[in-house]
Amino acid sequence: MNDSHRPNDRHRRPRASYNPGAEGFSDGRLVEVHNQLANDKEEPSEGFSLLPVFVVFLFCGFGFWAGLYLTRNSGDFNPGSFDLDAPRAVADNGPKEFEPDPVKGEKLFVANCASCHQATGLGVAGAFPPLADSPWVAGNEERLVKIIIAGLAGELDYKGTKYNGAMPNIGAGLKDAQVAHIATYVRQAWGNQAGPVTDAKVAEVRKAVGSRGAYSPAEILQAHPLETK
Amino acid sequence: MSQENPNSRPQGQGRPQGRPAETGAPRISRVDASVASPVKFFFASALLWLLVSSVLAVITAVKLHLPGFLNGCEFVTFGRLDAIQRNVFFYGWASNALIGLNLWLLASLGRFEFRNAWIATLGGLIWNLALTIGVAFVLLDSQNAFELLELPRGVAPAFFVAFLLAALWPAVAFARRPTSHVFVSQWYILGASFVLPVVYLLAQLMVLWCPTNGVLQALVHSWFLQNFLFLWLGASALAAVYYFLPKELGTTLTGYYLSTVGFWTLFLFAGWTGPATLLGSPLPLWIQSTGVVAAVMLLIPLTITSINFFGTLSRDSGWSRAWNNTTLRFVAFGLVAYTLATVLQIVFSARSLNAIVRFTAFTAGQQQLLTYAFVSMVIFGAAYFILPRLTGAFWPSAKLVHLHFWSCAVAVVGSVAGSLVFGWSQGAALAAAKPFADTAHPQAALLSSACAVLFLIGHVAFAVNAFGMLTSCSSSTDEGRQA
Repeated sequence: MNDSHRPNDRHRRPRASYNPGAEGFSDGRLVEVHNQLANDKEEPSEGFSLLPVFVVFLFCGFGFWAGLYLTRNSGDFNPGSFDLDAPRAVADNGPKEFEPDPVKGEKLFVANCASCHQATGLGVAGAFPPLADSPWVAGNEERLVKIIIAGLAGELDYKGTKYNGAMPNIGAGLKDAQVAHIATYVRQAWGNQAGPVTDAKVAEVRKAVGSRGAYSPAEILQAHPLETK
Repeated sequence: MSQENPNSRPQGQGRPQGRPAETGAPRISRVDASVASPVKFFFASALLWLLVSSVLAVITAVKLHLPGFLNGCEFVTFGRLDAIQRNVFFYGWASNALIGLNLWLLASLGRFEFRNAWIATLGGLIWNLALTIGVAFVLLDSQNAFELLELPRGVAPAFFVAFLLAALWPAVAFARRPTSHVFVSQWYILGASFVLPVVYLLAQLMVLWCPTNGVLQALVHSWFLQNFLFLWLGASALAAVYYFLPKELGTTLTGYYLSTVGFWTLFLFAGWTGPATLLGSPLPLWIQSTGVVAAVMLLIPLTITSINFFGTLSRDSGWSRAWNNTTLRFVAFGLVAYTLATVLQIVFSARSLNAIVRFTAFTAGQQQLLTYAFVSMVIFGAAYFILPRLTGAFWPSAKLVHLHFWSCAVAVVGSVAGSLVFGWSQGAALAAAKPFADTAHPQAALLSSACAVLFLIGHVAFAVNAFGMLTSCSSSTDEGRQA
């Protein structure tokens, strides 16, 4: 390429096999010869070559690694999994901690309680006692949870109105967390201001209640007297 | 074409005058003559855009360390010029040249005379007109915020139609070739010609015309970019390497029967590597991991191209013969760059390494290694081979060829090495939670300015040589005037 005006023209030498002539390959010969090579697989003069076997094993190895890598790093193909460390972090912390959820609580209340106590929590005078602004609800949390789990039957006097109903054991058919959501919602809605109830507390109370029937008002007030404001 | 090989003629500088065989100048084969007009048009347009891109690259590089340079005029702000430079380089230079190169290779390898070459030329006209209009709009401050999709979206239909005319139509002509054998270069060209319109169309639709929601947009864009870089630019340049290496060395390719596997695995995996450029983003984990796996699986095509190319070059003192052959010197340079670029793509898909270089100049260096040190150098080498055969003239100056090679080679080595080293060191400093201002390297901007000037020198040398040849032979063929 030095001072030649024809930079491509140097060092074009023929080869012994598949001699393309002094000018390098013509296009036709180039295609033809390589077509033969593709069919022959190997140049006959070279004898048996380990290359193809090696290449096949190498590529199988890549494929094996790819499978392993995808299995370990795919986040279980969960579209919500973004971070490589996230799944492990969840596993390390064990079961998720209970967090009271007012939205869930309201839904559960409407489904299970509002037919009697009303969605407003005001109840029906003479039939179903109100929950709004009630010391029965906002005071001792065990009292509330016991009533939800076991029910309450018998005569009861509240704010000058007499009630004589029988509340069924609604909570017996619900999970601890669901009872906790309902209790927390009731204790914080309609002007009630009391702390949340955890699912662990519900489980503890459920154990204490056992399989007994409904409480009577006198019985429950003896165990947990109403708090005075 | 062998008996009409221009370089096999006795040396002479005479202009071809109707019957070139008697004057000693190279003769133009009938196959070459049939595609001469579009191919010359594409190469000439590519050259002009390359000069524009080089000048813009100098301006943007200088602006990085002299912020006051060309201050006060909104048309030459960094944001606009940088986007224009990128688009001019990829759509103006690389794509134009590769369309022309692919066209020539398809005709030469299929050994058919191209009919209706004006269709390809028409495609070229539309392509370059659309690019000019798009650049003007970006200059007037109307650009999209997606790399290589910055041009206003109205340009896209014109690009699409132009590409169908200029690249897919030749592929259809390929189906009617007289020969039955298909050489590996032809696979790569056809693959590349079908990949680009599909990914461009889908990227335009899903990113700009009817934008998808959230991270899907970024995912589609990364998919488009990787396809554009590896399967349009990369595969087209590989086609040229597969052709010129055996052609100029006069030897067969080592392990040629493996090249089918290399072709299919490249096209299977390269398009999936997009998510590997988005590691750590809010993409679902399995998509990121799929990208990493696809990037690592590029080892398969890389192994095969290495066996094919380096095996061929290591036989019969192939390296020294390649060094002494203008075309092969560029091609071999590009080949080493391709191997390095793919290795970097694979290695830096590893999550821990990727986290360090993710937001630094390192990725720019990787891209330049692939698109300049590989693709552009191969195009240069191909131009040194093709243009004399189309014009029937010799390269006017061997000194300019030397100047071109050395300035571009030094510039790209300096520029890529600078990006990689400074990018890595900045990434490491950022990972150590150092303040950003302390991690920036002022030397990096100086180095890139020096390299940009060197690039410009090399490109001007190439352009002077090429336009000297293109204009010196105006009488050789009727179509010769196009460029």
